[in-house]
Amino acid sequence: MAKIPTPAQEFEASKDLADFAVRHAIKLGATYAEARMDHYWGEAFALENGDFILSAFDNIVGVGLRLLVDNSLGFVTLNATDRYAMKKLIANAIRSVRYSARLVREPLQLSKEKSYTKSYFVPQKQRLDEISPADITNYMKDIDSELVNSKLDVTGRMLDVIHSITRRYFYDSDGSRIEFEKPLIDFNYFITIGKGADSAQRYSQTSLSAGGEAYASLDLKNKILADAKILSEIIKKGVKPPKGIIDVVIAPEVTGIAVHESGGHPYEADRIFGREGAQAGESFITKEMIGKKIGSDVVTIVDDPTIPNSAGFFLFDDEGVPAQRKVLMKNGVISGLLHNRETARVMNLHSNGSARVEDFNYEPIVRMSNTFMLPGKHTENELISGVKKGVFIKSFMEWNIDDLRINQKYVGNEAYLIENGRLTKLVKNPVLEMNTVDFYSSIDAIGKRVEFSSGTCGKGEPMQGVPVWMGGPAARLRKIRLGK
Amino acid sequence: MLTIKQTQDYVLKKLLLMGADDVVVGSQLDNYTQIKFVNNAIAATKHWSSVGISVFMAEKKRIVGTSISGASKTLIDKSLKRLWTLAHLVPPSEDYYRIARGPFKYKELKKTFDKRIMNLGNKGVDMIESFMNLAIENGASRSSGALYFGDTHSRIITSNNVDARDKGTLINLSDRIFASKDASVHKVCAARTLADFNPKKRIIEGAQIAKLAQNPLAGKSGKFDVIFDPLAFGSIADEVMLSACASAAEGGYSFLKDKLGEEIASNKVTFYDDETFPGGLNSRKFDQEGSPADKTLVIDKGVLKTYLHNTSTAWKYTAETTGNAGLVAPEPTNIILAPGKHTLDGLAAKVKRGLYISNLWYTRFSNYESGEFSTIPRDAIFYIENGKIKHPIKQIRISDNMLRILKNIVAIGKDSQNIIGWEVEVPVRTPHVLIKDVNITRSVQKAMPKTAPD
Repeated sequence: MAKIPTPAQEFEASKDLADFAVRHAIKLGATYAEARMDHYWGEAFALENGDFILSAFDNIVGVGLRLLVDNSLGFVTLNATDRYAMKKLIANAIRSVRYSARLVREPLQLSKEKSYTKSYFVPQKQRLDEISPADITNYMKDIDSELVNSKLDVTGRMLDVIHSITRRYFYDSDGSRIEFEKPLIDFNYFITIGKGADSAQRYSQTSLSAGGEAYASLDLKNKILADAKILSEIIKKGVKPPKGIIDVVIAPEVTGIAVHESGGHPYEADRIFGREGAQAGESFITKEMIGKKIGSDVVTIVDDPTIPNSAGFFLFDDEGVPAQRKVLMKNGVISGLLHNRETARVMNLHSNGSARVEDFNYEPIVRMSNTFMLPGKHTENELISGVKKGVFIKSFMEWNIDDLRINQKYVGNEAYLIENGRLTKLVKNPVLEMNTVDFYSSIDAIGKRVEFSSGTCGKGEPMQGVPVWMGGPAARLRKIRLGK
Repeated sequence: MLTIKQTQDYVLKKLLLMGADDVVVGSQLDNYTQIKFVNNAIAATKHWSSVGISVFMAEKKRIVGTSISGASKTLIDKSLKRLWTLAHLVPPSEDYYRIARGPFKYKELKKTFDKRIMNLGNKGVDMIESFMNLAIENGASRSSGALYFGDTHSRIITSNNVDARDKGTLINLSDRIFASKDASVHKVCAARTLADFNPKKRIIEGAQIAKLAQNPLAGKSGKFDVIFDPLAFGSIADEVMLSACASAAEGGYSFLKDKLGEEIASNKVTFYDDETFPGGLNSRKFDQEGSPADKTLVIDKGVLKTYLHNTSTAWKYTAETTGNAGLVAPEPTNIILAPGKHTLDGLAAKVKRGLYISNLWYTRFSNYESGEFSTIPRDAIFYIENGKIKHPIKQIRISDNMLRILKNIVAIGKDSQNIIGWEVEVPVRTPHVLIKDVNITRSVQKAMPKTAPD
């Protein structure tokens, strides 16, 4: 299919609208304004049990403007490049923000940050918008046929592919101009083996920021087939999880989700200050707890948006602040929080570049990017061989955590019994249900191979989903009692 | 430049000329405001203004879609050409049948539009001030949440003789009221008209209950009879009716797959999907293929009567469409649990040893088809003994099976509430619900905290 990127001249023209919106807001009395102008191209394909239930594409243009008036915050969006409509929206917004300012308790201010003019992009050898839809549907069909021909009892097959390229222009009244282009590949599958009570399922998401060339190294077909085979064996051969006090080794996929939920979310400073209290929740961490030890010496957790081709990749955040690696837990000690300019100001710090938006329609809030546990020295085999009786949890399906991020649960999908240092049998749905401090304190050794998995992290009002990676090495938890 | 109406008409005409079999062109104009408040202060005022035109086309069973943003014929032509090309590059969908055949007569909806909500403006700020003060006057230390209000105007035209318009307003307060860090109540109050929007009673009740929820003890694991607040049952009702969509049964994310005609819930349970409900948060004149709004009996006294359908899934199941078409797959609109006879006190009187759960979040399945799931009670939770509240508890989880939960519904309250929110994306109208023997789990802890006395 013909290349349909956003025409360059259209993007350049819309930058003028963003600049105009910022200048106009300042003219009408805003003390600060910032605009994010998005040009989004996306294509989606959904294959359900061999049937293409939808193929679609989108070209979306829109601008989001955030402004400060009388120390109070306002935000407006428009999905068009209409200067007249923008002017009207800004005037209304300034009036209503001014009106609401009497109910602002603490004057809202942003940390002072250096201004940048930068432009960056994620290189694509094969641009996502130049891949023929026929190539994508053939690729999906091929994977689907393999599942059908696998002779495993595959009773449900859902595959979907979403390709997108976001081009965003950021301009603020402090003088920053940041422009970037980020492609995103999303490949999701959901398979069911067997029926009803004798069924097993697996959902998996693969997201990365790259061009079509990335598919060559993903090996998705074999991954899905391997999953289908394991699910089939779990139904036939899976044994009940062991009772009593045991050791548990978690693989990178499980380390990743646990780190995201209980080693990332509670470190978001806006939660700590209650800004997301009504929905996403608050945090068990308070700012006074920085320096407190809540995990074992071997646990160090970081959030790093600068990993090339990662789902959470960016070099400047959505407030124009340079991206950086943030250390959240160092050797078991709470060592830092994730900040945007608003929360950094409250603590008299500089922002560490953690503001993100889903797109122009949303205000920037504190978000994770790629959150992971740093590796240790051991091979996975060494971790397992040090366990007399235990369980190795390779992947998970069901999970959740409370809104203060204390009580978490992960139900194993592919899991094995460990007997005398060796993996012996498949285990059906072992449950890890434990509190955050116990979880990080129980880890006595970690692997040296870091792996990432992908997710779409939800937060905010209205809910914003942003692509993230989460991961780490395998980790060994000592003296655990599995949940029921 | 074309107007929205002209754009829709042009797109339909053009695609039919190109040779499309079925075409749906929908437009939606949204104007919404959200005032976010945090810890008794306003944190942000947000306005959204958007115009969306969506296009669905089927050509020889190839199903494609896009959205149109440009208003010039040149830009539209470019998008339609791409759509046509896409349709010829993707394989057909054997399960696709067709879209609904009009013309239809649409009934006017009641209580779904209120001009006063369109013009609410800064009165929203005054409302929030009074809500925050009301919570404090009734014993709360702080409240956080959002007031969201605005209007939607839509029009749909299809290749099957549909040309219809609808409009609606919505006002929605989400208010989490805290008495202390671990004692809170979440209240929602949502309506289509200002006359139906009466959050004061809920806020007062929320503040009073939040106070009672202070100093919670760690809960215990085991089986408990549980009274679910409407907000908590709302998220379970969503899971049930999402499972009842034909597309969910097809895709494997349904615990109601292959269960048509079976008794899947206790005989106390009757669920409707009612797009016509007066003042229903999602009430609409027509679905996304133009079928008239309808009331569908989905679960009748515990028996699964039908899945929710669009024209194509109905064809596959030799059924009639239930008027639940989304552009790709059927979806629920207004989920309604038929009320029972009991007052809240009446429900509590039935509980010897149980819990009151005010809110749920983070419902996840280990297997959608078998129905194994867990979800986390948040905000106020109370331990009940012999019909009386004994003390608040915290840090528990429901780890159970949806089909077991549905079978164990023993009594339903008589007063329904409209629920919508983060965890209840499809609006639900439900009263309190009593479910017996709900499996409660909790984190297995190394250092055991102080637990509730027996």
